Amino acid sequence: MLFNSFSFALFLPVVFVLYWFVAGKSLRNQNMILLVASYFFYACWDWRFLFLLVFSTLLDYFTGIKMSGTGTKKVKKRWFWLSVIVNLGFLGVFKYFNFFAASMAVAMANIGLHVNLWTLKVILPVGISFYTFHGLSYVIDIYKGRIEAERHFIDYSLFVSFFPLLVAGPIERATHLLPQVKKARTFDYYAAADGLRQILWGLFKKAVIADQCAEFANTIFNNSSGYTGSTLLLGALFFTFQIYCDFSGYSDMALGIARLFGIDLLRNFAFPYFSRDIAEFWRRWHISLSSWFRDYLYIPLGGSKGSTWAKVRNTFIIFLVSGFWHGANWTFIAWGLLNAIYIMPSIIFNTNRVNLQIVAQGRALPSLREFSQILLTFSLTVFGWIFFRATSIAHAFSYIGRIFSKSLFTVPAFDASRAMVFETLVLIIGFIVVEWNGRENQYAIASLDKLKKRSFRYAFYFSLVLIIFLFMGREQQFIYFQF
Amino acid sequence: MTKFIKKTVLFIAASAFILLAIILIPNYVISKRSRFAINNKDRIVLFGHSHPECAFDDTLISNLKNLSHSAEPYFYTYQKVKMVLQQNPQIETVLVEFTNNQIDAKMNDWTWGYTYMSSMFPKYIPFMDKADIGVLAENNPKDFMNCLSVSARNNLVRVLTSDYEFTSIMGGYFRIDASRTSLTADSISSGQGEMVRPGVSLVNLLYLKKIIAFCRERHKRVFLVRSPQHHSYEYLKNEKDFLRIKQAMFSSTEFLDFGKFPLRDDEFADFGHLNYKGATKFSKWFGAMLNSGLLKTVNKQLFIDQSISGITTRNETFNRTASR
Repeated sequence: MLFNSFSFALFLPVVFVLYWFVAGKSLRNQNMILLVASYFFYACWDWRFLFLLVFSTLLDYFTGIKMSGTGTKKVKKRWFWLSVIVNLGFLGVFKYFNFFAASMAVAMANIGLHVNLWTLKVILPVGISFYTFHGLSYVIDIYKGRIEAERHFIDYSLFVSFFPLLVAGPIERATHLLPQVKKARTFDYYAAADGLRQILWGLFKKAVIADQCAEFANTIFNNSSGYTGSTLLLGALFFTFQIYCDFSGYSDMALGIARLFGIDLLRNFAFPYFSRDIAEFWRRWHISLSSWFRDYLYIPLGGSKGSTWAKVRNTFIIFLVSGFWHGANWTFIAWGLLNAIYIMPSIIFNTNRVNLQIVAQGRALPSLREFSQILLTFSLTVFGWIFFRATSIAHAFSYIGRIFSKSLFTVPAFDASRAMVFETLVLIIGFIVVEWNGRENQYAIASLDKLKKRSFRYAFYFSLVLIIFLFMGREQQFIYFQF
Repeated sequence: MTKFIKKTVLFIAASAFILLAIILIPNYVISKRSRFAINNKDRIVLFGHSHPECAFDDTLISNLKNLSHSAEPYFYTYQKVKMVLQQNPQIETVLVEFTNNQIDAKMNDWTWGYTYMSSMFPKYIPFMDKADIGVLAENNPKDFMNCLSVSARNNLVRVLTSDYEFTSIMGGYFRIDASRTSLTADSISSGQGEMVRPGVSLVNLLYLKKIIAFCRERHKRVFLVRSPQHHSYEYLKNEKDFLRIKQAMFSSTEFLDFGKFPLRDDEFADFGHLNYKGATKFSKWFGAMLNSGLLKTVNKQLFIDQSISGITTRNETFNRTASR
């Protein structure tokens, strides 16, 4: 059940009505309805994996209570590692087993040993990386003594399985979401209206920009050996906008949907393509994952304290793990490594926290220096996405090799109508303009409700609806569902 | 809460109204102003997919207009037939291609598969009724929305530019110069090696029935025809099923089988399509057959078979003489 599907358009109002009208002001009933709806939502993907989700929830719930209840550090540690090993074990089996088996076979073949390793024929349970990280953050926080274990099973289950974030995040923290789950929620007109606005904007990003770009990016990446350098560069640009609008569009919809139920989720994107350096980009891209790695991996490893060598090592570790988190393929690891290399100068020279403010704050346009910085960061990002999108490392290198050839200076041409390509480029430019204007807000059109003229506001909304309908691309699966 | 629900419902209703208007108004205008005109002299029209499209060179056949279109299943042909017959009252006879691959389940994909639907649906939506649209929406709801969006956009542009001309895009003879012998083994196998899939496309057969019924309502003579095809044509494997279905569903419609029209390998573009050379030979013969009163004879297939066997005998004699 995709957020941009008809089935979800029926599901959401039903849950909304049940939540506010049937459950009324009873917090227990509200949470119960949300939990049942979340399990139903997940079962629509594949009901068999619901058992895995429930098992993972039960495991973290009980280990959390066991850790809180024990006085001895040794016992606490035992429960903690049990949860970590089982959680990561599931992730390892479902997501990485075949990758390791295949990589092992290749390595053996390279030294002349041909082995036929056993691989699992399993489908990756949707959202496993997300809810596993939810659970892990909860268990780690209890172990570190930052929070107390949640005793109410329904509340805890809702924290793990709340449907807007269940399959592709944002990766929530117990410290942020659990208090909201436990607090009585009353309907807030402005929050709900803002939620709807954010859903609409997310839908535009996903259905129009991401899905249109996807068709071109897929065509170009899937047939890259036959295209010129300029076409491949265009393909990389299309993918750059596809992945941003796909994932941030999804996140916008998730945040908007949660607000309809009186719950605020963590912000996941903050206009990353306007970043002036890579460190800023990573503070603005998939924020909930970046901050997860920062808090649960980078800081425990020593973070930015200690010698330069330690900082460099820690940075490489988190980018490698982050790359690997995205998927069981060497391309993701290469993408992570590349980003670690990108960020290295600012780590070594301690300039990674220079650009903390919003770019050109209070001004309509960036300075020339800012513009060049944005352009450079954006170019590095586009280059990085080639590894992310390529099917193999060899594919990525051949793609890049073809870009940097004489054919880079030819007119791009590929199997698509010129009018369609032109139309998509115009839409992307329009999108960039709106995002730039709204970069000081939580999302691009958040300040629309401050427009005094109601007619302007509604004209914008209806135009957006019209654009979504007229220019929607062919429905594509959200990219991050595969992670 | 009440205010929120009221405003949301109003917004959704207003959006739905705008979108409906964007879809329905251009569709209505196009359905009223579209032009499917053919030459006044043309009394016979031919519909079908790429086989007749490549076989009947209508410049060589008097009074016949070939309106076949590649990869066109009967679902879309039906929409075209409705408009062509409505706007061209001089038409007396309708020929509809009916061949082996048109009973195959592959035709479902030609009807609502994304690649085909996205190109055909926008063109013909103004002429479809609710039931027709329902067939597509029901069988491929995921891609239907996108196709609806593409059609709304295309039709809006059509109305804004006052482009109501369908004559040039509804089909016609398609010339292929390549011959089977000049193709590489790979291209032959990739183009023609597709296996006959199990199953029958009921929707395709249902719409063929609709085409026939529509023609009869308008008092037009209808014939099913089978274009020449190579004896190695993959879909001939379903010949038994084909004949059974023809007998069970279309026995009241006369069937003119040109499938075994004698052609050399170099007169085929591939196993299912004639090239220019083959089309010229076949079209001249077919034109002569029409002039000899093919459509007026009682036993048409016998007339065809006798003529074909005459050609075969002549060819064999010629080959024997040449080999001596």
